[in-house]
This record gives sequence, structure tokens and C-alpha cells, in this order.
Amino acid sequence: MIETIANRLLLSIPVLFGVLLLGFVLVQVAPGDPARVLAGPSAPPEVIEQIRQRMGLDDPFFTQFFGYLGRVLQGDLGRSLISNKTVLSELIAAIGPTMELMFACLIWSIPLGIAMGTLAAVWRGSLVDRGVMAFSVAGVSLPIFFICLILIQYVGVQWRLLPFIGRGGPLWTVEGLRHIALPALSLGLIFIGPVARMTRSSVLEVLKLDHVRTARAKGLGEFRVVMRHGLRNALIPVVTLVGLQAGYLLGGAVVTETIFSYPGIGRLAVGAILSSDFPLAQGTILVLALAFILINMLVDVLYALLDPRTQKR
Amino acid sequence: MSTIETAATAIQPIEEDAPRRLVWWKALLADRAAAIALIVLLIIVAGSVFAPLIAPHNPFTSSRSVMVPPVWAERGSWEHILGTDGQGRDIFSRILYGTRLTLIIGVVAVGLGGVLGSLLGLLSAFYKSIDPYMMRLMDMLLSFPAILLGLALVAVFGAGAVPVIIALAISTVPDCARIARSIAVGVMEQEFIEAGRAVGLSDGQLFRRYLLRNCISSIMIFISLRFGQVILIGAALSFLGLGASPPTAELGMMAAQGRDYLLFAPHIAVIPSVMIFIIVLAANITGDALRDVLDPRIRN
Amino acid sequence: MKRTRLLYTSALFGAALAGLPAISAAAEINIVREVDSNNYDPHKSTARAAAEVLFMVGDTLVALEPDMQTLSDGLAESWEVSDDGLVYTFHLKEGVQFCDGKAMTADDVVYSFKRWIDPETSSPVAWRAGDVEDIVAIDDRTVEYRLSEPFSELLYQLTQSFATVIDQDNVEALGADFGINGFNGTGPFCWEGWTPRDRMIMNKHDAYVWGPSFYENQGPAHLDRVVWQIVPEENTRTVALITGQTQITQYVPAIALEQLRSTPDLEVYRGDDAFWTYFMGFKVDKPTVSDEAVRQAINLAVDQEAIAQDLFFGEVEPALGYISQATLDWDPSLDSELLGYDPERANQLLDEAGWVRGGDGVRAKDGQRLAPLAYVFAGSTWQKISEAVQADLLEVGVDLQIQAFDATVAWGKMGTQEFDMFGMSYPYVSAGDALNLYFRSENMPSPNRMNWDDAETDEWLQTGKTALNDEDRSQAYSKVLHKVHDAAVWLPLYHEPMYIAQTTDLEPVVPHNNYGSGLYKGLDIRFRSE
Repeated sequence: MIETIANRLLLSIPVLFGVLLLGFVLVQVAPGDPARVLAGPSAPPEVIEQIRQRMGLDDPFFTQFFGYLGRVLQGDLGRSLISNKTVLSELIAAIGPTMELMFACLIWSIPLGIAMGTLAAVWRGSLVDRGVMAFSVAGVSLPIFFICLILIQYVGVQWRLLPFIGRGGPLWTVEGLRHIALPALSLGLIFIGPVARMTRSSVLEVLKLDHVRTARAKGLGEFRVVMRHGLRNALIPVVTLVGLQAGYLLGGAVVTETIFSYPGIGRLAVGAILSSDFPLAQGTILVLALAFILINMLVDVLYALLDPRTQKR
Repeated sequence: MSTIETAATAIQPIEEDAPRRLVWWKALLADRAAAIALIVLLIIVAGSVFAPLIAPHNPFTSSRSVMVPPVWAERGSWEHILGTDGQGRDIFSRILYGTRLTLIIGVVAVGLGGVLGSLLGLLSAFYKSIDPYMMRLMDMLLSFPAILLGLALVAVFGAGAVPVIIALAISTVPDCARIARSIAVGVMEQEFIEAGRAVGLSDGQLFRRYLLRNCISSIMIFISLRFGQVILIGAALSFLGLGASPPTAELGMMAAQGRDYLLFAPHIAVIPSVMIFIIVLAANITGDALRDVLDPRIRN
Repeated sequence: MKRTRLLYTSALFGAALAGLPAISAAAEINIVREVDSNNYDPHKSTARAAAEVLFMVGDTLVALEPDMQTLSDGLAESWEVSDDGLVYTFHLKEGVQFCDGKAMTADDVVYSFKRWIDPETSSPVAWRAGDVEDIVAIDDRTVEYRLSEPFSELLYQLTQSFATVIDQDNVEALGADFGINGFNGTGPFCWEGWTPRDRMIMNKHDAYVWGPSFYENQGPAHLDRVVWQIVPEENTRTVALITGQTQITQYVPAIALEQLRSTPDLEVYRGDDAFWTYFMGFKVDKPTVSDEAVRQAINLAVDQEAIAQDLFFGEVEPALGYISQATLDWDPSLDSELLGYDPERANQLLDEAGWVRGGDGVRAKDGQRLAPLAYVFAGSTWQKISEAVQADLLEVGVDLQIQAFDATVAWGKMGTQEFDMFGMSYPYVSAGDALNLYFRSENMPSPNRMNWDDAETDEWLQTGKTALNDEDRSQAYSKVLHKVHDAAVWLPLYHEPMYIAQTTDLEPVVPHNNYGSGLYKGLDIRFRSE
């Protein structure tokens, strides 16, 4: 298992390097001169030239790249061109809310998805099964922004049940919970489908296994059989799924945060890119990629923990 | 030469496939949901292909009749079946053109990524020596989720359909490569490959005639399963203002523009959103059914 | 069954969550707005979003009444101007202190103004301070502002957020983070924290009692806490107001105003005059638009009335003049000469000038197609405007090309010589303010993006700027107004009035308009006492 983790870590080094290079190239080839953006619209050419020199924009590519690497390793990601805040401080402020949102989304959608998938498998072919499958296909086919807009329109505007702007505070406060409810609901709705589907098919597999058949032969109820023998094994693929779908979830979070004016990394990234704030865009992309790598590593570890067979592989 | 040909055809399983094909068509159409989805998909494709002929209005010119509701609503008129948007443009015409661009983005991205990915996967299976490197490379690529790639590319090249297509294509590559490889490894173990080698076929011939032909249908199914997801991500990027830019029409962008009018004329945002839903739903149902009928091998 | 119970519990929990009332502290309001500022350093931002906040967390020596013409006391209780217009003496109010409790003295004023004009600061708005010879503190409560040339605009300029009095220790302690991570001001509210593109939070300044006398309440503020929340989407801001997630905002789209007026718990107030003008300018030295006939024809071809009606539901004022007719020093004799909608005359003018329609209906002359390129800001407003202008111009054979840029890129792009026309909107307090900004030759290439290089204009502008009395000043500016309108240097589009939408839980607020900041110092925002 340690080997798995080590492997994973080694693998992530070139990936990280790639992300850094990508982020760096981004600023290099982006339209618009960063010095010009920094200097402001009416700055005379001399000022722009000064800034170019100070930023080292005329140095050779690799000198600049390694300079950038060195700064990143020291935690210096530069300052946002738009807000003048250090990129690091903006990122730190946004990471918490995004993690909260992810947590609030997964905490309800995974259990519900697993429950739905299990029920569908146990009552295979029944109305419940069909309902769950239809729901999950519809779920993965709905554009996330549509879900968000519908929820805002009905829950937020017509019924006035929940707020839909910004973050109300930490998760453990009433306002925090009220504000995160709609974004977490939207994001979770697109995630239940894949979870339910995956659970259903893996529970079905498990039901075919010998010891489960024996248990069933002993006259135990279908549901009990599943709970006692099947679910643990059936959960393994579900864990993998969360890792595989992390990118999908991340994409959903970008849209959800933007629509709900929720101050997370996704909204920060979109804002930075739309306003050509290159250092900040660089920073957000770096953090998002890091998060993605981390999630996948965690999933690998979890997988290894849950499934003793992986050690043999 | 001719002996080789006969030897080859004799062991080629593709030929045996012919009668089975009819069966799967029937099986697919027997699945009522899949049949409906397929028909819907065909209608949508036809509509977008012939958009210039069907569209009753110019989708890009604005008019003074803004926010006209669709025909079934109060104040609606047959002049604008789906109503007009905030700038007085005919929504039905824009949907036709918008669907066209959305489909083009999806098809081109999945096509490019699928072809490149499957090629890499097949090569990886065919030449065992490059396999480990190729798979590590794919693992690396897999670490960039599509939305992230999209954001990065748009940051560099500015918003537009092309960066979105490239991002979606790249993100399709690793998945396709893995699937293609796993299918190809199975095929490589079969005896007709050995037979082909025995009769002295070159690598190129072997690759094209046997490996490619025997894998292509399974790979195509997998690619079709990606299609829905790719459309969704593309629409999401456009919705955020990072995709296709005005004056062109794209469904995600149309939904985003409709947001300003959500309170007063919800149909402007709802209609394109529902259209995306229908396309993706139809694609997903068809893809699922195809997979179930045709290729139980890659059932999860 | 355990599972069902769990389900019930979570359903109940969800219902409870939805049913819980929002915690409303006694006097806290949430203001939604469209965009954030790049920073809150008074000398380093020209954004309206910065002014909105700075007016509340800081003070200026002189304040402006909602009529946008009458000066009122600010940090200075009174002032005198020497006869030659060169020396302004300000007498500061007593007992003024910064948020951190430190007393504000004349030295702070001197420091603030000197930082404003210091080349080191490289403030884009340093010119607004006039030609300063020196600024000195006579004693703790007297400041002398000495000019080398008279500046008739000075007192108006000193009402702007750029003239906010700041604290030297605070500036030096924060360094590059001044106006970003903190700000120590003397305003009715104190800086609490800023998350860029998300929210700006400010708390009541308890010691504040030195508000401008035109306010009924001179302090302290009625509100304990103000949160400025960024919500870029029009529709979301509107529904936020309807659902009570924001109590007051000036950022409501024209489309929503009628709906908001008819919503029972909401009220919309409109300022009397509009001091924010949308226009397109011509680069007068570019082929095609260098022809005065072309510029005039374009002015005649565009139907501002229709734009105001169709795109903005009649909530904006169609503009034919370059500044609002209610502005200080506007010359009413111009009213009859403005170029209204007359496509026939536009066609006639173009025909006479030798621009002949080609096969595609677009005019050309000497092989040059009449297809000017316009740079505008990205976003739904300019998209709507420019498409409407494009359609009108096509009618008279002008094929307008449009390129839209995101705001941050646009400012750079608009400093270039790449385009023939540009779309812009701007706030102003007076004719002199507007004209000196846009039409001085020394302001080329930006903000004088028209390349309007005219010695007479420069001379009159200088006369107006240094005039010692109202009459000389308005005469000089009137000449400039006539000259640029005659030459059709701009295509004016509309004046945007100030609308403030608010819940009826609040007492009615009088819309202000200084630099487009509708709430100004926020001293009159208060909850109704039942």
C-alpha cells in the first residue's frame, strides 16, 4: 500500500511540473502585455518599459520559468492585477468555502445515491429500479446551470425558503447552512445519478457471489443479505467513482459557485480569466490541479484500505 | 497473394458479424426508450444540418419585438414559434443554429479526442514496449479535468469555440486510450492475429486489417457514451462566458444571455437549457442501449 | 426501520433549515452591486466602485449636495478663496478623528493632497488637483491650498473621492496593502474587511458627528454594519431585492424597474438629473470618420429615442448633447442645434460628400468602404447598444464593425490607435469636468481618444479652467461645447439617471450622484422605526 502511495506521489511530480509550466506559458502567450495591464490604460511607454524590466519580461524563457518556479516554491504567487491583493491570500480565502461546498454536497448526495442504488439493485426490475435509473440518467443529462437557475427561481424567489447569494458564514452557523443549502443541493443533484448507478451495478455483482447466495438460501431477507454481506464490497467501486468524478464535480462547482455568487475557488478562477488577471488565473489553476491530484491520491489510498486485493496487484 | 487473402478472410470474425448486426438493430429498436431517443437525436441532427433552410428568421438580427413569449403562452404568436429573446431575435431560429454549433463542438471534440485516444490505446496494445510509457502519459493527462483544461486554454487564447473544442478533445484522449487498449489487448490474444503473423503480414497490415477492424465498434460505442458529457461541459463553459462568443449562437451561451430576463421572460433561458437536456438525454439513452445490446464487454 | 427514520430526520432538518428566519441584527444592510474596484486607495483607482466605498469610509474637505451643484461642508466647516483665485484657505471642523481614534489635523490633509499629486504615486487623477504650488498647514485646523494658476473646478474636484483625507501612518504601515487590506479614514463607517470580487464590509464609526450639513443626520450613522456584495448578474440582483436579500441598491437593470415599483415592499427613487453619459467617440484623424459629413450623418442616423425606449424601457434619457442639459455650464443655446434623428438628411449629407452606395448597400468613396471599426466593452449593455447603432447605421449605408473587449483588456485597447470609434460612459460634475477630461490635446491618446487636437479648444478650456468668476467660465466652456458639437466629435447615446431601489423597511433615501455613487455617505439610510 505504501508502494501505491509512493507511486502516486512520484507520478504527481511530472503532473505538477506540467501544471506549473502550463500556468507559466499561459501568461507568456496571453494576448495583452502584462506590463501594460499592470501599468494601467494611460501609462506612458517609459513606465511600461520600466515595469517590463522590473518583472523581467525581457529575460529568456527558461530564466523566467525557473524564476517563477523558485517564487512558487516560496509561496510567492504574485499579486492579482485586478485587486492588488497577493494571489496567495486570495486563494487561501477561497479554499475554505470551496471545501465546505464539496463537503456539504457529498455529505448528502453520496448516502442518498448509495441508498437509491441499493434499493434499485435489491428490487431489480421493479418500479423503484426503473425510477432510480430514470432519475440517474436524467441527472447526468441536465446542465448544472439549469438546475441552479430552477432552484433559485422556485426555492429562492417564489417560495422564499432559502437565500441564494454568497456565503452566510461557517458551516456550523445557521446562516452558513442556509446559504450553502441551495449550492450544495444543485451540485449534489448532478452527483447522485452516477453514485446510484455505480452502487446498483456493483450490488448486483455482489448479489451473484456464492456466500451471498448461501445467505439468501438460508432464508434471510434480500435487504438484510445486502446490508450484511454485500454493501461493504459494493462500496469499493463507489469510492473509485468519487475520484474519477472529481473533475466532473469540480466543473460543477465552478458553475455553481459562479451562479450563487459563492466565494470559492471556482468563481475566483472564472473571474480571473474573464478579467485577464493572469497571476490569479495561474494561481487558481494551480490550486485546482493540486486539489484534483490530491483527491485522486486519497482515493487510491482509500481503495487500498477497503480492498485487500489491491495489495496483490 | 491470393492465398493469403483467402486465409485471412477465412479467419476474419468480421464476416460472421454480418447477420448479428441485423439482430442488434432490432434489439435496439425493441428497446422502446432507445428507439425514441434515437429518433429524437436524428430529428435534432437533421434540424441543425438544415438550419439555414428551416430557420424562419435570421437568427442574428435583432428586431423591435423583444421578449415575445412562445406560441403556447399568452400573447404568443405563430410568427415566432418559440418567441423572441431580449434583443428581438427569433428563438426558434437561434435554437436551430445554436444546436448546430453545440453539436459541432461536441462531435469535433469527441471525434478528435476519440481518434487520437483510440489510436494511442491501440498502438499501446500492439507494441508492448511502449505500453508502460503510454499509460503513464495517459495517467498524467487524466489529472487535468476537462473544465480545468478549458479554463486554462481560454485564459490563454481568449473565449471562443476553438479553445473549448481543444480542451474537450484533450480530456477525451486518456479515457479513450485506456478503453481502446483494454479492448485491443483482448483482441491481440486471439488466434487470428497469430495466424496473420504466420502468413507474413506486415505490422501495418495486421494493425489495420485485424486489430482496428475488430476493435472499432466497441470503441465507437464508448466514444458515443462520452458525447453527452462533452456537450454538457462545453455548454457549461459557454454559459460562463468562456466558450463561443456573440454574435454566434450556442445553446449554453443562449441560456446565459437569457438569465438577464429570467424574471420577465423565463422562456429565453429555459428553452435552450431544455434543448441541451434533450440532446444529452437522447445521446445518453442511445449510448447506454447501444452498449447493452452490442457490447456487454465494457459494461462498467 | 432505521433507514426510514434517518430519512425522516433529515427531511425534518431540511424543513427546519428552510423555515428558520434569517438572523437580522438590528441595523445591518446588504447592498448588492455589479462590479468590484481594483483597490480602495483613493489615488490609485478611478472605479465608481471605489468611490462608493471611499465616500463612506472617508471624508473630503468639501461635500456636494444631491443637486450636484451646491457645495456643502465636509471636513472643512468653511473656506475662503483669494481674489486672484490662487489661494484657498480651509478651516477644519473640530474634534474630527480617524477610525483608530487618532485626531485628524491639518497635517493629515496636507499629507493626503501631496500624496495625490506626488509623481511617485503616479495617480491617474493627479490632474484633478489643479496646478498646485504648495499645500501648507497654517495651524492644526487651517490648510492653505496654493495654486500657480487659478482652477475654477477646484472645489468640485475636492468633493471627489480622490480628495479623501487619509492617515499617513496607516499608508506607511500597510505599504502596498493600503486600501487593500485596510484603510483608516474619518468617514461615517470604518473599514472591516475586503474580499475582492465578493464583499466589502464596513462598521459604524461611533465617534462620527461631522457629516455634511445638508444631511439631516450628521452622525453617527444609523446603520451598524454595511456589507457590499458583488453580484454580477442583473437578474440575481433584482430577485435578491425582491426576496429581501439586499435592502438597497442602485444597480437595478432598466428592465426590472417597473416590476420593482409594483412590488409591494419595494420602492424605486429616481434622482432628478442624469450625470452619467453613454457615448461613442470618433477618431477624427482616421480615414472615413475624419470626414465631418460622415460623423454628422452618423449622428443623424441613430435613433436615440428608440434605443432608450426599446433597450432601456424608457428608463434612461436619450442624449443628443455630450453632457446632460442640467449640468453646470451647459449652454441652452445649443439645444436647438443638436443633431436629432433624421435618416433622410443623413443620406443626403453622405450623398453630397461623395459617399456612393455600392451593390451591397454600403457606401464607399475612392475605393474606401464606409465601415468604421468600433471598440466597445464586453457585456450585455454595450452589446445591446452597439447592435442597435449598427442596425441604424446600416440603413444609411454605414457598415459599423464592432469588437468587444472585457473591461480589463478594453482600457488598454482603447489607448491604442487601432479603431475608428469607441464606446464609453462616464460620470461628471460639470461641463468643465467633462470637457477638460476629454478634449484637451494633452490628454491624447487617452482619454482624448478622438485625437481632438485643436489649439482654440485648448485655449478656451484653459480660460474656463482658470476663470475667476462664473460668467467667464461658462462663456469659455460654452464656446468649447459649440465647437465640438458642430464638429460632431461624438455620437451621444443616452444619459443614465440615478435609480435607487430599496425596501420599504428603510426610510426613503435621496439619490445622490457624485461620481455615480447613489448612496454617497450613507448617513440617511435607516430602518423605519415602527
